[in-house]
Amino acid sequence: MVHYIGVILDESRYEQIKGTPIEEKVQSIFGGALKMLVVEVPEDKSEQILKAFDRARIDSRGFIEDVPVAFRRAVFEEIVKNKSLDIIDKVLERLPEIQELAKKEDEYIPPPEIE
Amino acid sequence: MSVLRMILKGGELMPKLNIPPPHGGELVNRVIEKRDYAESMAAGAIEFDLKPTTLPDGTPIRHVYREIMSVCYGFFSPVEGSMTSADLEGVLKERRLENGWVFPYPILLDVSDEDLKALDVKEGDRLLLKLKGQPFAVMDVEEIYKINPEEVATRTFGTPEDNPEVVREPFNEKHPGYMIYKMMNSNVIAGKWTIINPPKFREPYDRFWLPPAECRTVIKYVKKWRTCIAHQTRNVPHTGHEALMKNAAYTGDIEPCHGILVNAIIGAKRRGDYPNEAILEGHEAVNKYGYIKPSRHMVTFTLWDMRYGNPIESLLHGIIRQNMGCTHHMFGRDHAAVGEYYDKYATQILWSKGIPSFGFEAPPNEVEKGLKIIPQNMAEFWYCPVCGEIAYSENCGHVDKKQKFSGSFLRGMVAEGVMPPKVVMRPEVYKAIVKWWKVFNYPFVNKKYLENLNANLEVNLEPMEIPKA
Repeated sequence: MVHYIGVILDESRYEQIKGTPIEEKVQSIFGGALKMLVVEVPEDKSEQILKAFDRARIDSRGFIEDVPVAFRRAVFEEIVKNKSLDIIDKVLERLPEIQELAKKEDEYIPPPEIE
Repeated sequence: MSVLRMILKGGELMPKLNIPPPHGGELVNRVIEKRDYAESMAAGAIEFDLKPTTLPDGTPIRHVYREIMSVCYGFFSPVEGSMTSADLEGVLKERRLENGWVFPYPILLDVSDEDLKALDVKEGDRLLLKLKGQPFAVMDVEEIYKINPEEVATRTFGTPEDNPEVVREPFNEKHPGYMIYKMMNSNVIAGKWTIINPPKFREPYDRFWLPPAECRTVIKYVKKWRTCIAHQTRNVPHTGHEALMKNAAYTGDIEPCHGILVNAIIGAKRRGDYPNEAILEGHEAVNKYGYIKPSRHMVTFTLWDMRYGNPIESLLHGIIRQNMGCTHHMFGRDHAAVGEYYDKYATQILWSKGIPSFGFEAPPNEVEKGLKIIPQNMAEFWYCPVCGEIAYSENCGHVDKKQKFSGSFLRGMVAEGVMPPKVVMRPEVYKAIVKWWKVFNYPFVNKKYLENLNANLEVNLEPMEIPKA
């Protein structure tokens, strides 16, 4: 069974994929209020992800959620670097580095500056 | 037969509901406000400092003070204290107290072998329970007995073999509620609790503290709600929750429910949930900024270290909210659940036909000494791009186009610092998350938050001198 990783695109992220073949794969959700790229993850690889991060889970939509921010950032970086959504192997190669970054996230995530 | 069924069957009752009686007949109130009475009750009692239940790595996951508060202020009526072995066996076997009233969870004051030895306590003695170094409550010891915590944990939540109707996976160390019972000490001191030094809630909890007796008065005389539907929460609300509240409240009798009572469960939660403070202020934002009028929507809380027990937890929720004066309770899919341990509709199965292996041949509001609150089992809400609105799954025919709300999807967005679009989360709710994120340097519950919560609790106690016997 295939699972998914959703990568939310804010303006800055959207700019980075604009004009690339990835742009046409952008999905618009919630009435156009949110843009997202969806990466397909084969079951054996989603199991690797669930094993690597103890809070990670598959939600009712079949998406892999509750993964560290560092993991999501790595997914997006690989999409930009490879101009492809077929990047899950490249992300998994970076698992040790991502796990190290994720440890720091247990203590601190910088809050956004909003009014 | 429930009141609602009698109405639907054209019974003799007028088709109007009223606030149901408390579970067990009357509200428990075991709080002594008068200082001189309190001091005299505690004089000469054997002192014991209440301690948290912790995981092997020291993470606090439960503090029994929350159970003492919820018992003594009547949220858990008719329970009056730490359960005797007969009550415990009844609860584990068929979710009934020894007196026959439905109750789902063991409520226990557990102590270690070392503490029990140091206390040198016996049946008939009076204990003075201290919290944050101050006298807090007294209890008259009725019984001291041994438990096997792992057995209590397993029997509390059930197993696929013993409860095949709804239990899908064996409970294990990944389940936070299971761990609360598994990590308990093996000695139980049973007896009724009485609070003698009522704690003062810290901000923002003080704004939302409304014990059952007062809540019933507010519902009846201030809000003037004849009918009221309860909304269980352990989450900051997204618009899917808001749609659930608004639509579930269309139930009632001759008209929709007059009020929506949000009752948040406040205590230690699993890592990754939102902080208690953000949950309360997030829900408050829903009425403060007019998404549901404050005249129709009220936010309160119950102290309880959530057990995430899906159908079992729903029984406790029904009891709490009936005691608070609600006529109805909304139950969604995966109610109070974590993981895949239970069937996603386990709570709705319980409240629509019962779960015999848990002691319910019929729904909990149709059994003897059961509940009087009326369930409102709701299906799902999703965003439908065709309808262009948040749609109810039983209405919307564009199933293949549905965009489901997912709490974990939203948490991921929040963690990345992306402000959720307002169609998914109200901006004022998001601001409540960020407000507390700045306080704790983290948007969700983590080990540091739990340690901090355990050190400070939700309350402070005034100094109290107890005269020697």
